[in-house]
Amino acid sequence: MKIIPALIFPLLTVLAVFMIVTSQGVWQMDLVVFGLDNITVGLKATALANFFAVLIAFSLFAVSLVSGKQTPSKGFYFLLYLLTWSLLLIVYSADYLLFFVGWEVMSITTYLLLSYTLSPKALVKYIVFAIASAMSLLAAIMILYSTSHSFLYADAHQAYLALSDTLSVLFVVLMLFAFFVKIGVIGFHYWLVDAYAESDDFFTPYLSAVVSKMAVYALIILLVTVVDISLLPKSWIAYTLALLGLLSSLIAAFKAVNEDSMKRLLAYSSIAQLGYIVTVLSFADGVSGALYHSLMHTLVKLLLFINVAGIIYVTSKSKFSELGGLIYRMPQSFVMLLIGIIVLAGMPPLGGFASKYLIYNTLLENGNLLILSAMMFASAAAFLYIYKLIYGIYLGHPTSQKLESVKEVPVGYLIPQYIIATILVVMGTLPGLVTPYLNTILIELKLKTLPLASSAVLNTETGGYNGLIVMAAFVLIFIVILFVLLSLSSKVREAKDRFDIAYCGEVPNEGTHLHYGFSMGKELGRVGFIGVILQNSSRYFYDFISKQLFAFAGIFRKIYSGNLSMNFNIMALFVLALLWWSLK
Amino acid sequence: MEEGFLKEGFLKEQQVMESDLNSDTSHKSSVDFLMDWFRKRSIFVLAYGTGCGAIEMPPTFTSRYDAERLGIRGAATPRQADVIIVSGYCSYKTLRRIIRTYEQMANPKYVLALGSCTVNGGMYWDSYNTIKKLEDYMPVDMYVNGCMPRPESILEGFIELQKEIAEGKASSWQKYEENYEFYRKNQEAVLGKTVAPAYDADWYLYDGGL
Amino acid sequence: MIIFDLMGMLLSAYIVGFIYYGLYRNITARFQRRIGPTVLQSFYDSIKFFSKKESISHGWMFYLGPVIMMTGAIMTLFFIPFFYNSESFSGLSAYGNLFVVLYLMMLGPLGNAMGVGVSGSPFAVMGVTRGLTRMFAMELPFYIAVIALMSLNHSADIATIAANQTTINAFAYPLLFIGVLFSFVAMMGQSPFDVVGAPVEVYSGPAAEFSGKFLALLMSQSAIFSFAKLVLMVNLFLGGAEGFFELLGKTFVLFLFVIAFGSMYGRFKTPQSVDFLVKVPTAIAVVGLILATTGGQ
Repeated sequence: MKIIPALIFPLLTVLAVFMIVTSQGVWQMDLVVFGLDNITVGLKATALANFFAVLIAFSLFAVSLVSGKQTPSKGFYFLLYLLTWSLLLIVYSADYLLFFVGWEVMSITTYLLLSYTLSPKALVKYIVFAIASAMSLLAAIMILYSTSHSFLYADAHQAYLALSDTLSVLFVVLMLFAFFVKIGVIGFHYWLVDAYAESDDFFTPYLSAVVSKMAVYALIILLVTVVDISLLPKSWIAYTLALLGLLSSLIAAFKAVNEDSMKRLLAYSSIAQLGYIVTVLSFADGVSGALYHSLMHTLVKLLLFINVAGIIYVTSKSKFSELGGLIYRMPQSFVMLLIGIIVLAGMPPLGGFASKYLIYNTLLENGNLLILSAMMFASAAAFLYIYKLIYGIYLGHPTSQKLESVKEVPVGYLIPQYIIATILVVMGTLPGLVTPYLNTILIELKLKTLPLASSAVLNTETGGYNGLIVMAAFVLIFIVILFVLLSLSSKVREAKDRFDIAYCGEVPNEGTHLHYGFSMGKELGRVGFIGVILQNSSRYFYDFISKQLFAFAGIFRKIYSGNLSMNFNIMALFVLALLWWSLK
Repeated sequence: MEEGFLKEGFLKEQQVMESDLNSDTSHKSSVDFLMDWFRKRSIFVLAYGTGCGAIEMPPTFTSRYDAERLGIRGAATPRQADVIIVSGYCSYKTLRRIIRTYEQMANPKYVLALGSCTVNGGMYWDSYNTIKKLEDYMPVDMYVNGCMPRPESILEGFIELQKEIAEGKASSWQKYEENYEFYRKNQEAVLGKTVAPAYDADWYLYDGGL
Repeated sequence: MIIFDLMGMLLSAYIVGFIYYGLYRNITARFQRRIGPTVLQSFYDSIKFFSKKESISHGWMFYLGPVIMMTGAIMTLFFIPFFYNSESFSGLSAYGNLFVVLYLMMLGPLGNAMGVGVSGSPFAVMGVTRGLTRMFAMELPFYIAVIALMSLNHSADIATIAANQTTINAFAYPLLFIGVLFSFVAMMGQSPFDVVGAPVEVYSGPAAEFSGKFLALLMSQSAIFSFAKLVLMVNLFLGGAEGFFELLGKTFVLFLFVIAFGSMYGRFKTPQSVDFLVKVPTAIAVVGLILATTGGQ
């Protein structure tokens, strides 16, 4: 499909979302007409829903720009648009029934979209987890319905309070399980890495950017509207969220360094970043940080995955051990990736720092100091895989002859990257730009709002920082130092070729292994606790469970063994039992 | 020093050599004068022991004879170094690496040649495998006589080198650039067409080249 | 005028940083029973490198690497106030806070890592990897202590934390201070945690391919950055400073401790230093945090 037809539906989606956002529509319907009484469904354009809908529309637009060069199989675009429709249904529904419909359509369409390229094993992993998540969600909704007899969000809080103790715990556990599977919290992430790595190169940005955010949205609705976590500051829910989010960030960061494939590294990076969101949602104040970080993470993952898709398109290679030294052949992609990783690392002056600042402030205000230190530790540990990403692809030496003759990616890949990079730079310079909109959402959710100062200052209760001054200082000092350096009289001699490096007097040649690509970070396994993390995997746990299930099924095999005479006996017993029961 | 000591012998030879070197004074604005003064106060020596004279370098640069008083310290890579010390004989194998390293250093760079092997072949004057006169292959700024020179001699060599740097006379790097064809011809005569070492892990298996 | 303020901070950091490095070489020499160079030796080194007739470069990214590193160091310096009770020499600290400073400290090395990577020297990249590994380990005790201080002072502003110290934090929360000292030795690049720039092991690590004016920039930013870190520690743990002599005295005492510590020990391997830093100083700092926030101490 060429690029122009590929853009029609996305543009229509953007238009539709724009109309919904500006119209503040509410729609409600009684399902009496279908013969089901006492069930009302509805759609509502809340501020929170609009926030996520804008992200969905933008992601679809960005991904469609990229996909113009690829030639996906038949039906791909239809499924992609169906997926978008289901995501919009999830965010705009005002009751759990339509939410569940959207959730199921999302799971199914994702499955079908993944089935184009995934290996059967990875596909089975995905569908098992998706079905488990959907069924536990359904069970939780039914538990809630048992006391409220209504699916609407508005009635959910009262219904939750009316549940008995065990049922309320069960409800929350089931809900959390469903959402953790989709977010990819460590332990529930077994399907995620393979699915991201093997899916279509231009579908992975969409998966990572938006589909995981649906679970974040659902988690916010659960924690704020239904359970009202601001009344339960030190409950088991808060501890579970904080601990699991922290473990996600830490473990995924170390596992990411160990990877050779670009997309697997980015998949683990997604898990780590979403761990931040899960941790900060253990407090009601954390919704602002979670939303800001969702925004940042969506944009960054779109940027990174589209960049990686471009690399794979141009070089047909997807591993660090086969790439390297592309910086001067693809300078624009390099600069885009550089901006992406600065935001991913959360460094000022770009936008990633603002969301991390909000998260850290929330944890600090709520006195969760050890978790905060561990989070900052995880953020520092993330620098390793961030550097590996950019070094393995662009810096170092090219590892094959083909890489010395590649050209820049097609413009369809560059345009979304430029747009996203501009947005990120602007948000870094003016971090307070989003605050008024965040405050609208917080007011609607009946939470405490952020103090406003100006669009350049991001303010919280314990103080703020001025993004404009940081960015201005950076640019001015950079220009001054560059000017001083350029005006020095010392001439600059360019190295003769890529082998003109100080190599103890020796001269390396093409056969010398000079690219420290995939093996960067392998030595981390020698550190005690990191070695433990790297050697273990959730695979062992799930293997154990499946073995137990097989053993359990083996008990039934003894009865229903496929032996014909046994079948006849069972059938006879069954008929006798029926006769006895009917005659009773 | 009294004149009696300098009429003959080892010290006289050293003095003759010190006065006979590259004395091309090609500068002298006041900025250059100032810069040369700074260059003499801070000398980074490449940590590269090319021959048996290198045994005297560790005592010179560490606590026993403390060259750091003069502002001299070691540098790890040729990019960071000002001075390369050719400490003793140069076999052809080492000569390749010395030339490669010398060309990777940044101007202005100086060469300090230790020992008599660099002057006339020294005790390896009849060897099939070493070069006899370093001046044919690289320009030298300062010789230090001896076999091998003790740390006191090396320090005297450095002090003389500092004097030459301050006067702008230590310009072997300019001599190398201007007479590159001459030096390259001499290098190729002993090392073959490819002067730089071939990085081959099996070079020691001697398939015909060094 | 703020521009004179910033110039003053930069100039004092440059001069004092270089003098401290000269003193470092002198004092280390005395530990080793020799004399060592003059105190002004670092200035001579730096000017000599600036006056090199040529510098070798590997492209525009290599050119920009040291520039970004210097920018990061200067920005860190500007966001740390020198004196907590006066407007002068407070730089841009009113517009930022401790979180900003902590993250700005990582900006320079990461920018330099780009330049180092593009040079193509595998030894240099090995040094960068060691640096990143060591960094996340050494930041852990530091973060714990800093977060404890922020929570106790209910503010992330450095001047507030410095001003609130009726008794110096080093004596009020000794366990936190001890944990941070280990981290600080690593941050200043001293033994036993100086595995990053090992001259012979990794061919001097990230500085392997830099020559001429690029190396001079790296040395200058090292001096400025060290001074910024010293001033940060003085503000957080040693009670801040009200005058220039007090600042110089306190930073020098801290610097002397770091040098003495570094002269005594050999070098840990990278896994060893990570192992040590996440166990012993972290445990000390965590105990200090718990005691400090539960009202003890």
